Amino acid sequence: MKKKALKALLYLLLTVSGLFVVTFTVYFFNLDMKLTSMIEPFLLKHYDRIPRNQHL
Amino acid sequence: MAVKKFKTMVNPEKIKGDTRYGDLYKPHGKVRKRREWRGVQDTLYDYWRWLGIMMTLGKFVMVPRNVKAMFRYRWMANYLAVPMMVDRFTQGLRGEYLRMAHEEQDLIIIDVAKLLNTLFRGDRRIGNDEEFSKINVLVDENEMTAVMMGFPNLKCTSRETPSTYVSVLLNQHAAEHYIDVAQEFGLAGDVCPMPEAEAGVSIDDDAPILGACAVQCNTTCDGSLLGNGVISERLEKEDGIPVFQLPAPLRHKQDDVQDYAAEEIRRAIKFIEEHTGHKWDWDYYFECARRVNIATRCRNEWLDMNKTDYPQIFGGNLALYTETNYMAICGKVPDFEKCDKKLMKLAEQAYKKRRMAAPEYRHRAIVWGVQSHFYMDFLVWLLNCWGIVPLTDMLSCINTEMIAETDTPENREQAYYDMAMLTEEMIMRNRTHGGYKVLLNDLFRFVEEYNADMIILWEHITCKALDGMHGMFEDRARELGIPLIWVDHQLFDPRVVSRQGVRDQVNQYMRTVMQEEPLDPTLEFLDDENSW
Amino acid sequence: MKDLKHLIYFEDLLQEANNDLIRQAQEEGKKCIGYMCENVPEPLLNLPGCFSARLRAPRTGSIDVGTYYLTSFLCEYSRAMLERALEGGFNFLDAMITPDGCSMLNRCVENMELLKAMGADKEGFFFDYMEIPMKADYNGLDLYVVQCKNHILKPLAENYGIDISDAAIRQAVAEHNHVCELLRAIGDFRKLDNPTITGYEYNVLCLASYAAPKYLIIDKLEETLEELKTREPDPKPWFKARVLVVGSEVDDTDFIKLVEDSGAFVCADRFCYGSLPGRDPIELNDEEDALTQICRQYMYRGECPRYMNTQKMDARREYVDKLAKEYKADGIIYQQMKFCDPWAYEKMMGSHILRARYGHPVLSVDRPYAIGSSGQMRTRVQAFMESIDIKKIQKEGE
Repeated sequence: MKKKALKALLYLLLTVSGLFVVTFTVYFFNLDMKLTSMIEPFLLKHYDRIPRNQHL
Repeated sequence: MAVKKFKTMVNPEKIKGDTRYGDLYKPHGKVRKRREWRGVQDTLYDYWRWLGIMMTLGKFVMVPRNVKAMFRYRWMANYLAVPMMVDRFTQGLRGEYLRMAHEEQDLIIIDVAKLLNTLFRGDRRIGNDEEFSKINVLVDENEMTAVMMGFPNLKCTSRETPSTYVSVLLNQHAAEHYIDVAQEFGLAGDVCPMPEAEAGVSIDDDAPILGACAVQCNTTCDGSLLGNGVISERLEKEDGIPVFQLPAPLRHKQDDVQDYAAEEIRRAIKFIEEHTGHKWDWDYYFECARRVNIATRCRNEWLDMNKTDYPQIFGGNLALYTETNYMAICGKVPDFEKCDKKLMKLAEQAYKKRRMAAPEYRHRAIVWGVQSHFYMDFLVWLLNCWGIVPLTDMLSCINTEMIAETDTPENREQAYYDMAMLTEEMIMRNRTHGGYKVLLNDLFRFVEEYNADMIILWEHITCKALDGMHGMFEDRARELGIPLIWVDHQLFDPRVVSRQGVRDQVNQYMRTVMQEEPLDPTLEFLDDENSW
Repeated sequence: MKDLKHLIYFEDLLQEANNDLIRQAQEEGKKCIGYMCENVPEPLLNLPGCFSARLRAPRTGSIDVGTYYLTSFLCEYSRAMLERALEGGFNFLDAMITPDGCSMLNRCVENMELLKAMGADKEGFFFDYMEIPMKADYNGLDLYVVQCKNHILKPLAENYGIDISDAAIRQAVAEHNHVCELLRAIGDFRKLDNPTITGYEYNVLCLASYAAPKYLIIDKLEETLEELKTREPDPKPWFKARVLVVGSEVDDTDFIKLVEDSGAFVCADRFCYGSLPGRDPIELNDEEDALTQICRQYMYRGECPRYMNTQKMDARREYVDKLAKEYKADGIIYQQMKFCDPWAYEKMMGSHILRARYGHPVLSVDRPYAIGSSGQMRTRVQAFMESIDIKKIQKEGE
């Protein structure tokens, strides 16, 4: 029982640490912004294609 | 009045982590190479707050209609840059300053996310929740929302805030498309690009359509007054949303305009009641008024602190928060009261410890004029690059008086005058209108009060009310022997004056006139023309 | 056509802000009150003992000093006015009253005050600033009345002992109306198919009525009206098309001349310093005080784009459409002085709406304060004339 609990704790720690390492890497190397900056040009092209009722 | 020469103050505490901030910029890049290293503790704190922002954004995109809106409205693409905006405003900040910035900015992000949720839920094109739409009252982007302080169950919704105002803070190029659209329809290129872009959004069919009614106001200038006419043409005649035009007197310091202003407030409230079926609630009004006073008291104390050698809430931390809290919130959101108190605690803590936000304070400056929206983090740059402390800015020099906050028959009457006063003394217009005393004389009064030894004069080149005092600013500064740095810009349009163009004006002055070297030379020239 | 007998006389009056008639009136002991915006009710500046002079800067050359103080982004009108004031060209004034109509004019006058550009040697000289309503309704009217009392009548009485009684105001309105009626009667000749007055000639007469003391030009206006009744027009109309000029401040007769030299006839003038509605008589009844009635009429007929309520905005375009029909205009020229914010928006809205909703051909242009003989403007007007011509031919073909 104790062993199981320790194992679960270890898994939890590993998961949290893994998540931390991944998210911190994303954070520190600005990967979130690098990704979204690549998405933007596609979105802008999409907006240009939308028909609009342009008038005053 | 004699201007005292300021003796450089050196920070006894070493700034932890990165100090060459320019190295983080990628040439021609949209985003930076990496985030700033602020020492272990502050980096982890910043990381933690970044996670919080990601959670806010994650929650936002979990709602399908928000994703639909992302693909419908061009300005929504700017929201891809939210975390970067926070990075720009927190550049070089450590300890309490970093915490203050996050307390404010993270709350503003949550508030804007809520606003977007509201817009898209009621928007006829997206969520089309008709019942929900009926509890929305549309207001201008730059409008004091005091007339909504007595409607607890209505939503005060601005379409222009997320489409243009916040967008430009996120992405310097955000308004260019809309400015071009307005000009394609014949609008002159020499008007203020803010109302011009707002008109462009309307012409481009890119504004959400919702609301029981709208209250427009002659907010800051002739351009904003006339720009409203473009928006109401479509809103009222095509979308069938009734519009009330709320004129706030321009010569707001005169006693003989106050009855007029108060009567317009009464009429605006009546109009909202008629079109929404909701009744004015005095209990809620005075609750909001109490919160407005708390915000005013806090702001007054922060500004008093900035008059000492150890200013605490200044620069971007003061400017952006004040703009949001004073006008858009105006006592209606309890979370901002909590934030005011947290900020006060952090400021007092830092003040007691005589904390400084940069390695050196070389100059104490009053930043006057209308700040460039595409470069609001310029204030942080001033501090980091040249050690110039932006003690206060024109847009933060707003109402300092308390309004009536207890419910009595006299105060109910006074309340109309208080709302009128707040509306008349909206950010920017309280200085650009009201006669030269509030624009010209007050600047030099503040220079004295704050022991400033420098003026940074943001000259928004198409702000006619500000340009109209150009020569007098120059003459008066020369008479007093105070260095005045002109920083020209075109508010929403970096194609006219780029961010580097803005920085160059300071760089040249500091090197040639002041004969100084920068504190962080890596910030002097930045290749950020393509950057968000 | 044979030249109008008094045209040169009126043209001469427009050569200087401080013209012969202003000097004459001041020699008679009257006080000269300067103003720069149509939102200041003119009769209130023409009470017994004083007269109004709407400020202009004729023959403007360099405006460098004005540009230094106001930057190159303010309209040239405000810069030229400041320049002229600093040159001493407005030293003849006994007071200056301005409304906070637009930021530029307001700042221009504030600079005059700060730079002590005039009034140094005049005891009693004052600057005053008024708030003007932005909506035409009962509340706006209350404000207008209070502002006129506090910022026109009170200082005039206190500084110069001017009689500001209701009777005095009525007397001023009667004189004002006489000039307006004369000018409207003269202006009606523009409605003829082959008009006996040109747009330029009318512009000179109308402008003189703003720039000179009214009571001193009445006789010449009366004579001109009589002359027009028998004036022989050219056998054939000399113009290609009739145009209505709409928009911001025009005090430069060269602009109208240039438009007419390009083949157009300016049949109506809906701009600041024009006669529509600036020369509409003010109707007074005996039931209400004169001041309130004046303010009401100024407010409701005002065509200034700073009026922001929907009704007023719509009414501005309706009014232009009505004038175009009444004066049989073939096209409309929407003009704005460059850097004028209010008219930049109004020009965009007005020109689109009048074209799309009302079906008028519209030319939309911006211009400098002193246009001289701008080739660019001439080309644009000529092209507009041609497009009107083509449309006419196409219509006839149908």
